[in-house]
Amino acid sequence: METPSEKGEILKQGVNPLSLNPLCSRRQVLKIGGISIIGLSALGPALVQGAAKPLIIMEQAMGIVIADPHKCVGCGRCELACTEFNDGKAAPTISRIKISRNLNFGPGGELILREGQGNWGNGLIVQDLCKQCPHPVPCANICPENAIVAAPVGNTRIIDLEKCTGCKVCLRACPWEMISFDPDSRKVTKCDLCKGKPKCVEACPAESLSYVPWIDLTDKIPPRSTTTARMLEDRAMACQECHMPGQQKNVKQGFGMLLGAAQGGRPLSAGKFGFKWIDLAGSIILPLGLAFVAVHAVLRKVTKK
Amino acid sequence: MKRIYLHTLPLRIWHWVNALMVIILIITGSQLRISGIASLRPHDPALVVHKYAGWAMVVFYIFWFAYSLISKDLSRNYVIGRHDLKGIFKQAIFYLFLIFRGEQNPFRPSPDNKFNPLQKIAYGAIMFIFAPVLIITGLLYTDIAFLRKYMLLWNITGIVDAIHIIAAYVFSLFLVIHVYMATLGPTPLFHINAMIKGYEEEPDEDEGKPDCEVHSANPGSETGNQRA
Repeated sequence: METPSEKGEILKQGVNPLSLNPLCSRRQVLKIGGISIIGLSALGPALVQGAAKPLIIMEQAMGIVIADPHKCVGCGRCELACTEFNDGKAAPTISRIKISRNLNFGPGGELILREGQGNWGNGLIVQDLCKQCPHPVPCANICPENAIVAAPVGNTRIIDLEKCTGCKVCLRACPWEMISFDPDSRKVTKCDLCKGKPKCVEACPAESLSYVPWIDLTDKIPPRSTTTARMLEDRAMACQECHMPGQQKNVKQGFGMLLGAAQGGRPLSAGKFGFKWIDLAGSIILPLGLAFVAVHAVLRKVTKK
Repeated sequence: MKRIYLHTLPLRIWHWVNALMVIILIITGSQLRISGIASLRPHDPALVVHKYAGWAMVVFYIFWFAYSLISKDLSRNYVIGRHDLKGIFKQAIFYLFLIFRGEQNPFRPSPDNKFNPLQKIAYGAIMFIFAPVLIITGLLYTDIAFLRKYMLLWNITGIVDAIHIIAAYVFSLFLVIHVYMATLGPTPLFHINAMIKGYEEEPDEDEGKPDCEVHSANPGSETGNQRA
């Protein structure tokens, strides 16, 4: 334990860098106190913002179920096993694995340079499974209740049924339409890998399905639908902490401010207007270069005559 | 009139394919910048094209470096010597003032010494500073599994992005000035033709006039050349 004198020493050392005298005068105490009050009050809103910031970065999942389309016979037993285990009923419409005939050309039609599991409208049987997406997890990013979270074991993206309100936004967000809505429970269903023992894999008679360590299929299998859900504003702002924001909005807001000021009305509030200094530098050097080139060219043309 | 073989075939092919890739990268890159990466999905065409074009750039850069090193192009054309340092002002004054008087470029390229001092500085900066910086920062953003953790941990994604963008702005500035200065030859397409065909057609020393005027003003000297 520290004796009172030791405590005094420590306090002195701590205060020392701020003042030349080892002992604080009254004025210095007031000064430091005032500064720290201002500092803390400025810190307050920042801390509150930090606390409200939604968690959007997830660790990558450990496992994934993949399907071999060459072996699949389309019997649909996996769908049955899935809903039997998870929902206690036979309901293929809310199954987490979806077996179907591939008659879908996808949102963009057939594209060159895109490869999938032959699922571009060739009429074969296809097996759609949750890809357990890496970091920009579309369904979790969209969810307004933060109800899609990484499981404590295996980091599988699971639905927190207590938070889920059944708003169906995630149905619109998944590019592969892998989330379905259960009309009985009024909640959505999503592949959670049956807590590490996928029942679809166990049920498959053709050994088409297998449960393997996670691989990234999101850039290999083209999306089945265009996602129409839009991200929440505050969450998109949180994304900008790592990813630099787009300048479209900033430029628009900047022009809005100028326009408002020019019309004599109250100018738009600066708010989130933040033209990043890099783009500021770019918007100076590029036009400068272009102007220099233009002046040079005009001068050459003039002097040639 | 003599023809100098300035640009070898592999370098010419590299130059034009590289130019195409740079333009694609600038277009898709500005798309990404304007709309914002956070608002894009992984399958957005701009993102995919930017990524593949970036990988192509890596391959092209490695090819260019290896080829230039083996063909001694690097040691011949990119090393800035004492002679070049003296020529900088002469060259700059030519581009800034003397060019308007219709004077000749003080620098004559030869296969052993292709670039004038200003070109050496500009190309050296682009090829040895900005292109590698762009490539390395771009590669950091391709989500390499074992680097991802550290990038998030050290919180350097913003810094990496800033460096990438600054280098990209400098690269676009270089592109603008490069394209303009390519038209500063005796005729606007003089240097561009040389980059396509490989040969630079140089007027005779005693003529002292640009190539284009030789044909119209002095037909006599042309026939003389043909005889010789």
